[in-house]
Amino acid sequence: MNAPFFKFGFFGNEVSLILAFVIGIAFGFALERGGFGNARILAAQFYFTDMRVLKVMFTAIVTAMLGVYYLTWIGWLDLSLVYISDTYMLPQALGGFILGVGFVIGGYCPGTSVVSFASGRLDGLIFILGVMFGIFVFGVVFPLINSFYYSTYMGKVTLQEWSDTSYGFMVFLVVVMALAAFVVAEKVEKKMSEKLKVSK
Amino acid sequence: MFELSTTRNNPLIDPALHAWGWEIPIYLFLGGLVAGMMIISGYFIFSGRQKNPDCACNFLPFFSIFFLTIGMLSLFFDLENKINVWRLYTTFQLTSPMSYGAWILILVYPALVLNIFIRPPQLLINKIPKLKIISDKLYERSYLIKWIGVLNMIWGFLLGAYTGVLLSTMSARPLWNSSLLWMLFIVSGLSSAAAFVHMIARDRYERELLAKADNGFLTTEIFVIALLLIGLLTSSQSGINAAKLLLTGPFASTFWVLVVGIGILIPLPLQLLAVNHKVKHTPIPPLMVIMGGLILRFVIVYAGQYSNWLNIHF
Amino acid sequence: MRTISALFPKKIKVEELTAIEAKPYSNPYLVGFGLGLVLLATFVIMGRGLGASGAMSSIVAVTVDKLSPEYASQNSFFKNYLGDGTTNPLKDWLVFEVLGVFVGGFISALLAGRIKRTVEKGPHISTSLRLVFAFVGGSFMGFGAMLARGCTSGQALTGGALLNLGSWVFMLMVFAGAYAMAYFIRRQWL
Repeated sequence: MNAPFFKFGFFGNEVSLILAFVIGIAFGFALERGGFGNARILAAQFYFTDMRVLKVMFTAIVTAMLGVYYLTWIGWLDLSLVYISDTYMLPQALGGFILGVGFVIGGYCPGTSVVSFASGRLDGLIFILGVMFGIFVFGVVFPLINSFYYSTYMGKVTLQEWSDTSYGFMVFLVVVMALAAFVVAEKVEKKMSEKLKVSK
Repeated sequence: MFELSTTRNNPLIDPALHAWGWEIPIYLFLGGLVAGMMIISGYFIFSGRQKNPDCACNFLPFFSIFFLTIGMLSLFFDLENKINVWRLYTTFQLTSPMSYGAWILILVYPALVLNIFIRPPQLLINKIPKLKIISDKLYERSYLIKWIGVLNMIWGFLLGAYTGVLLSTMSARPLWNSSLLWMLFIVSGLSSAAAFVHMIARDRYERELLAKADNGFLTTEIFVIALLLIGLLTSSQSGINAAKLLLTGPFASTFWVLVVGIGILIPLPLQLLAVNHKVKHTPIPPLMVIMGGLILRFVIVYAGQYSNWLNIHF
Repeated sequence: MRTISALFPKKIKVEELTAIEAKPYSNPYLVGFGLGLVLLATFVIMGRGLGASGAMSSIVAVTVDKLSPEYASQNSFFKNYLGDGTTNPLKDWLVFEVLGVFVGGFISALLAGRIKRTVEKGPHISTSLRLVFAFVGGSFMGFGAMLARGCTSGQALTGGALLNLGSWVFMLMVFAGAYAMAYFIRRQWL
């Protein structure tokens, strides 16, 4: 089997857009099932009362990572053809920080705000408009921050290349880390709910 | 403003190159929507529902007149020589669908006005007290009301069919040159209209009836689209190319996602669940149907202009 | 306005036909597994990951282009999203994907009885202030996502599963930024 199918030319651009729609439906369905259409559940992550964001995200990452690792190992998936974005260390770190601040203020991220709007939440729609405004501002100031945007370029670099370990080891490490995070998350949730009960 | 840079390959010299913009699909969509609304309203009047003050048939003609006027205006915007529009009404050409269309449109307005006469809203009666007299006279002769209903249904049917026939007569466009196009436009117009009336209807019975009817129209629409495409695929090479424009070609993503997916396949089960009271009634599925109907006209008009006999070589 | 409402004497009622109760959200690990499979399928089928903010920047770029084509063609950021003009910039993979996200989210919420016209907020904040926060937060998010070359779906989820260095740094910084800010606006949520 030759995967990724698109890169091997099994279908063209037009069909890829149809598939994008189908994949998007599954994506939106999963996000809504997880409660990600609700800002209060998303924000609860940052007050340790509901750790769904961490649980869902890390389970998803681990599942996809193990799948990719396995499919590459048995030779079905050509990992070199899977698009990995270049690393620009500083802009990405700063962008992540700003995004995190926006996350807790607004209560959504771009994908979840669409789900939230789809399930009738007005704040989801306002958030989408906010995102578009932020993008517009970025576009306007882009010529000024152009040099920073392209600074600390490191190329396509994965964790295993950067730390000089093997792919398998890194996968193992992430799985262990995720499992540890799940244990901690469950404990913290329990503790916080007890604390809230006491304070009430 | 169109500057002449060459003597050929410009729409002023080669009329075949004249491109239809957004005006025509908007007009076709609104025409189909009004046609569907007239058929629905006519049916309600025919079955005597106008006695109920909440009946959709008592206020649908206002929407019809509004949408049809917008549609006519957009058609007017498309005309190159706007002053000459009156000339359409000085003649009747038996073989020209344009001529039929111009006259059908003129006959549609009186039918809509007659529909209003049956039960004019209080506000209009206050302004024009004569309306009350007409309305009372009509009530004394109930067969007249039935005839108005039949008239609305017939004109609605002709209007909806005409929007399709207008395109199918152009044999230079293989995609349009199908005898099923008028069927598609009528069914699509009916489904959009049913979705629209379903959204605004005040009477619960009517709302549920229209949601069910809409599901029927959408199911029919799937078959008509399938037949249309099969018909093209089994015809000449140019017909096959025209069908492939929608199936795998440059219009495939719009066609499959926006017309077939969002316009038909997704709202159909959701409305089915809603009429069976399994899920909540929301305006989103009917809006999806209406949007699908609109995009269908855009896809058919744009892809049709893309398809022609000369593109056979690819 | 009065004329129009007089034409339709009775106000349009949207009565509930049956009370459909909202189901609770699914098990997070199960959802995560499903989400991971969707992501994996995207890798296998397309050779790329999921995303969301990219679709919004396409829409912004098209809007800017419609309002002022001259400015859009000069600005290298917007120009990048508009392409060479041979194809419609909205015929983009992410735009179609996000359209699907909307539909998928709607279907899921409808089936679970979770469609509700509401504003999500804590009990101690007014609705209008919450909407202001949503807009401000969204603006931060949009700016940050552009700077980081992706949002939580495009960078954290996709890059995280591919063990991309920049994505992991990004993800940690998202949590850092959110936890750092959380204390100051706790009144919005708690």
